[in-house]
Amino acid sequence: MRKIFVDYTRCVACKGCEIACAVEHHPSRSLADLVGDGRTQVNVRVLAVEHEAFPVSCRHCDPAWCMAACPAGAISRDPVTGAVILDQARCKACGMCAMVCPFDAIAFKVTHASPGGRETAFKCDLCSHRVREGRLPACVEACHSGALAFREHEEVRRDRATRNLREYLLGERALPDTFALYRELRRKEFARRGEPAP
Amino acid sequence: MERKAPMRSADPAGVEMLEIAERDRLDSVWERLEKQQPQCGYGQLGTCCRICVMGPCRIDPVGDGPTRGVCGATADTIVARNLTRMAAVGASAHSDHGRKVALTLKEVAEGTVTDYRITDTEKLTAVAAKLGIAVEGRSFPDVARDVADAALHCFGKQDDAPIAFLEAYMPAKRFERLKKLEDDLLASTGARYGLLPRGIDRESVDILHRTHFGCDADPLSLVLQSVRCSLADGWGGSLIATELQDVLFGTPRVKTVRANLGVLEEDMVNLIVHGHEPILSEKVVEHALSDEMQQRARDKGAKGINVAGLCCTGNEVLMRQGVNVAGNELHSELVIMTGAVEAMVVDVQCIYPALADLAACYHTKLITTSEQTKIPGALHIQFEEHRADAVARRIVETAIDAFEARNRGRVYIPPHSEEAVVGFSVEEILKALGGTVAPLVKVIADGAIKGVVGVVGCNNVKVRQDSFHRELTAELIARDILVIGTGCWAIAAAKAGLMQLSTREQAGPGLKAVCEQLGIPPVIHMGSCVDCSRMLVLAGALADHLGVDVDALPLVGSAPEWTTEKAVAIGTYFVGTGVPVHLWPVPPVLGSPAVTKILTEDAKGVLGGYFFVEEDPKAAADRMEAIIAEKRAGLGL
Repeated sequence: MRKIFVDYTRCVACKGCEIACAVEHHPSRSLADLVGDGRTQVNVRVLAVEHEAFPVSCRHCDPAWCMAACPAGAISRDPVTGAVILDQARCKACGMCAMVCPFDAIAFKVTHASPGGRETAFKCDLCSHRVREGRLPACVEACHSGALAFREHEEVRRDRATRNLREYLLGERALPDTFALYRELRRKEFARRGEPAP
Repeated sequence: MERKAPMRSADPAGVEMLEIAERDRLDSVWERLEKQQPQCGYGQLGTCCRICVMGPCRIDPVGDGPTRGVCGATADTIVARNLTRMAAVGASAHSDHGRKVALTLKEVAEGTVTDYRITDTEKLTAVAAKLGIAVEGRSFPDVARDVADAALHCFGKQDDAPIAFLEAYMPAKRFERLKKLEDDLLASTGARYGLLPRGIDRESVDILHRTHFGCDADPLSLVLQSVRCSLADGWGGSLIATELQDVLFGTPRVKTVRANLGVLEEDMVNLIVHGHEPILSEKVVEHALSDEMQQRARDKGAKGINVAGLCCTGNEVLMRQGVNVAGNELHSELVIMTGAVEAMVVDVQCIYPALADLAACYHTKLITTSEQTKIPGALHIQFEEHRADAVARRIVETAIDAFEARNRGRVYIPPHSEEAVVGFSVEEILKALGGTVAPLVKVIADGAIKGVVGVVGCNNVKVRQDSFHRELTAELIARDILVIGTGCWAIAAAKAGLMQLSTREQAGPGLKAVCEQLGIPPVIHMGSCVDCSRMLVLAGALADHLGVDVDALPLVGSAPEWTTEKAVAIGTYFVGTGVPVHLWPVPPVLGSPAVTKILTEDAKGVLGGYFFVEEDPKAAADRMEAIIAEKRAGLGL
């Protein structure tokens, strides 16, 4: 199956993926309407670890830990896209799915899909409705820097292997010089921030 | 548990207050930085364009995504436009400050503002002479009006000739170089590129125009205009601010003050002046020290009123009135957290909006005063020059009245403050040298002093507070390099105890001997950030004395903890004047290899000045020493 693959060295932390996801999952599909709307669902979060940024979302495991753990039967697999889908109407907010998720990709709050104004679990649905139409997940479409790719793993593996070999064998840089410098300076800036007092 | 505070500040008072902030879970600039992580890389790389609403457009720095914005702007164009806009904003902030001083001087001269007077007639005469304004047989108000008019003319004139202040103050060789550069560029390209500013306001407006949708897309043209606009700041707006403030309030003289949070007094009404302009704070200091107000404070149970400065308003009243300084930019929240501040009165620039909510957690009144800086949650007392005394009185009274509400249980004043010898205007430096720069040139030629580094500007919460300022300064003086500077650097150096006469013990043997001979510290406080113009004037005096251009001199600039757009303008006018400039953190330009190359390499050949980035204080000092050695070799030293 196709998955969302992350190349975090290319993530610029613009959070364009977060915005695109929020719009895609908002009932109005409007950027203006989600401003100030606390029930907006954002299924991908760009998290910072020191100088690095990583867009975290569901890995759509198979078999999925969360699906096996859910006593309410709220989690199922989309037969077409293979996505792990959480039905918020059935969710009892017991937290079992979040506890077993190895990627911490399940969050809780009152969303527009939560029944009765109570908190439920929510997670990435791989934009299955879009994927079925032959479109990319919204986050991947929004990503300008190539940090997110929605592809078959074999394609990704070949490309990466080729790129890494070009670097190793031919000395070609995978990242442009100034971008590599930017990453290095960012690393140094953070390293200095963490320095203890002399 | 890992202690955050020592990683956030190199200042012992800062560390103590940050521990209190952590204990009391107080929000601070450091907490907000953490919450902002990760910060957008497009913004940091300069490749986000929000200029029109076909966008926003972002150019993928990795090369996989679009390489042009909707209009076709490349990363080079977008980065250059954004950088040039930063210079325009910074130059405008400095210059608008200068405009108010010129307007005030004019009104004082014409008698329409009576709360101020011409304090320094010697300086007035000197400025007039420099500008070619007749002084013989004329009254001081007459001369002052002509000087003010000449300054205001620099802001608003419409012809293409260079502004009068720049022409009068810029060293001759530099002026000729820039003029020739304009001519050469026209001859070789057929296109007009301007470097000599025509009008202070005009150069900022020019940038707003040329960076509008569908105008200048040429990175070189954009960067050169940022140089012209910045020169209009350094040799125009900022210079006018410095010179005319000296006329109105007195040219700074050498004096001793104390620096850091320990200058707050537990039993007194503490009034903090924060921001950048001395016009109001001079009056606040005057009234706070009056017998009437001191008595009023005693009536409320305080032992009196203690005024302390913050940021560049602090530097202004420190240089002229000897007012102690509580701290630099990153101290602005910490000072309120002491619980001992009755009022913080602010004018313009570098004032966190967050101060209002923080002040509301205490009895502290945050008082805004400028039409241009209003903050929700603050008490606004409108300042106007023609009723300056009345406004200042009301501010001081507001502070006194707040004293009763102080919660003594929450008061903690960190017992840290250092003595600092300050007040080094160019006039004072020349006086120490015996009236001419010749002795300074001689000790540089002898090698006792290898060169001079001018350090400016800002704290940046991304850098451990004051750490770069302290380490770089200490490194340089140990290498016999004289360090001069302004702004938040100067406060950092003062807080670190680096501006004492005894600091010469940390200096190299050559610099130490010179300091002993002249009776000066090896680290020289030259004022607020508009007073970077004093450094330009000093550099100009050295260049003119030797009959060389500024880029021949062993001078380097540095903004090692910079934050603001004003710092972009300062760095750029240093570069445009021929001084290499160190920056840390890295400016938002790396998204464009072309712009990065113009700033760090091409500028050297064209202007003599150029930018370089270095994240380690010791390595930065190495680089500066190497540049100074290169310049010395060029001079045959």
